[in-house]
Amino acid sequence: MPNFPWQNIALNPLAAFGILLTLGVMGGHIANRIARLPAMTGYVLIGLIIGPASLHILNEDLLRAADLFVNLALGLALFESGRRVDLRWLRAERTLLLSTLTYCLLVFAALYTLLVFAGLDWQTSTTMAAIGMASSPIVILEMMREGRAEGQVSDRLATATALSSLLSLLVFAIALGSAHLFRQQPSADSLLTPAWLILGSSLLGLLAGVLAIALNHWLGHQRQHRTVLLFGLITLLVGLAVMLGTLPSLALLVFGLATRNLRGGESISEPDLLAGSHFFFVAFFVAAGAWLQPQALASHWPLAITYLLLRTGIAMLFWFALAPANCLTRRRGLWLGLALNPLSGGSACC
Amino acid sequence: MLEFNNSTPLTLGVELELMIVNRRDYNLTRGSDDLLLLIDRQPHGYDIKPEITQGMIEIGTAIHTHCSEMLQELQAIRQLLTRNAEKLNLGLAGGGAHPFQHWSEQQIYPKARYQLVSELYGYLAKQFTVYGQHIHIGCPDGDSAIRLGHYLARYIPHFIALSAASPFYQGMDTRFQTSRLTSVNAFPLSGCMPCVESWDQFNDYFQDMAKLGIVASMKDFYWDIRPKPEYGTVEIRICDTPLDIVTPTLLAAYAQMLARHCMEQEWRDISPAHYLTYSYNRFQACRFGFDGVLVNSSSGQQTSVQEDLLSTLNQLQAHAVALGCEAELAALRARVLKRQSDSQWLRDVYQDSGSLSEVVRRQSNYWMHDQPD
Repeated sequence: MPNFPWQNIALNPLAAFGILLTLGVMGGHIANRIARLPAMTGYVLIGLIIGPASLHILNEDLLRAADLFVNLALGLALFESGRRVDLRWLRAERTLLLSTLTYCLLVFAALYTLLVFAGLDWQTSTTMAAIGMASSPIVILEMMREGRAEGQVSDRLATATALSSLLSLLVFAIALGSAHLFRQQPSADSLLTPAWLILGSSLLGLLAGVLAIALNHWLGHQRQHRTVLLFGLITLLVGLAVMLGTLPSLALLVFGLATRNLRGGESISEPDLLAGSHFFFVAFFVAAGAWLQPQALASHWPLAITYLLLRTGIAMLFWFALAPANCLTRRRGLWLGLALNPLSGGSACC
Repeated sequence: MLEFNNSTPLTLGVELELMIVNRRDYNLTRGSDDLLLLIDRQPHGYDIKPEITQGMIEIGTAIHTHCSEMLQELQAIRQLLTRNAEKLNLGLAGGGAHPFQHWSEQQIYPKARYQLVSELYGYLAKQFTVYGQHIHIGCPDGDSAIRLGHYLARYIPHFIALSAASPFYQGMDTRFQTSRLTSVNAFPLSGCMPCVESWDQFNDYFQDMAKLGIVASMKDFYWDIRPKPEYGTVEIRICDTPLDIVTPTLLAAYAQMLARHCMEQEWRDISPAHYLTYSYNRFQACRFGFDGVLVNSSSGQQTSVQEDLLSTLNQLQAHAVALGCEAELAALRARVLKRQSDSQWLRDVYQDSGSLSEVVRRQSNYWMHDQPD
């Protein structure tokens, strides 16, 4: 009997990525048009259905092959999120800065207390509470893009998201160093680890920012070249940050922040980078759905639900109370608190 | 029947339409509601209102007799606007058109009149996201207003050249000094007032148009110059919003001097023949600014806008003295001699930076903080 190629068929990474994108877009369309849900819900659900936890059309190896696109999507989102932090605005509008810092501290304290109370050790509690401080830049940006959101709620939301991610990463790095300090003999590493993570990442981001501004100026009127340059620098930064053992997420946030706030950086993201990034974002959400493991959630669901509810409750109450001080109506304050909900698990470990 | 509310002759008022931009990439943003909400939390007494799309806001001055008072009021309004815009991280800018916004992304302001305009004109309403300065000149009666309207038509190219500030449109250099007027031209009721000679004749024309169901109010006419009976003024609507806060008062001073000239000499030379060259001269000024070539419909002579402007300014010296605006006249003359235009400034910034976002950033700094660099 002849042996035909289709008898032992196995998906290669290219075909798998094609399936991931095609089904993702279809899922997003169904969620949006039929269920009136954000398209990203559809992307994630499709990922969950075709991923290793369900139909297993995509296995772990194939998903890892899509890592390049997923990391690039995260990189783009974090860079763009950093660009939403306008230091000049924060100097003029200190209420927003103080509100965000207070909100992050409140969430951290509440989640840490909950997790310790639930019996987790202090290092795990610190790390998980730090993750809980941050809202997901990629989800927030996609939500704003899809809803064509503009105005004070979205401006303050984007700023609060970026600042909360920055704070979360700082606490994450310090927690990592503290774990060294307590688990091993105290050594220089205990101090050097967080210092390297924070300062190394920040320096990388800053250098990338300075380089981007200089090259952008040199390219002059070539808008398309400038966009490609930006994609190139974001990819390079992710790669370098991994190679040097720093935090890519922090480096990217600082990169965005630098290009927004250093002189000459205003035109870096012109035309709007996000408009050309949708392809990567769809890949990211489908892959994120595929990596989900509902079985793991099932064993810890009471704590997980309390964790999420506590976080949501604090966000909504806090921003509702501080709405007038933030130039918002109470109703818009409530929306802002609700919109800060999406968790940022990915940015800490990108 | 339109009633013309008489006003004190030669009194002045201006309205300025301003861009509201974000400070991330300096594109237009839907910020008018947030800004108005914040401003209206404090008593201010100024005329600040929304415009047809949410990336626009309009300010208007009170009635003034002298341009220096008008400048003081404009500066106070700007201070209020700037303080509140900074709190919301919004930029405000002059200029006739945003250099790279896409008209399809604009949102019509939720107000009955604007929704009606949008319903009737379709995409033209969103394309109308352009920014102009309107100058009101007080008239003693309707007949004077009609005469002044016709008299000023001859000087429309001057106002265009002096205020031109929209060389870029939808991301491209249009090679025009002002591209804004092209958006206005698309409206069926744009152009110039019909050649009526008195307020009664104008009223007849208006009644005919109303009976035909074409217009319901004076607001339906998008003419370059139109009488504004409820204010008792003639309104010049041809100018781009200048990039700074001083130029609007210079333009107002020019209109005031011309109006005085018209009223003093009791000008009555209304003739359809004068309108033969109206559109052509208007185009020349839009396209070439001070270098445009004007054709005199009576003599057939051709002169540049610059020469014609300088000659007119020379004739207005006595009126400048009488109105106390010699400084404004001198400033105008200096600008014309240097061919100084906002359009050229915008092109220079683009040439220097290669970025339209940077152009708008500098535009915004110019209007909000008097910092052209």
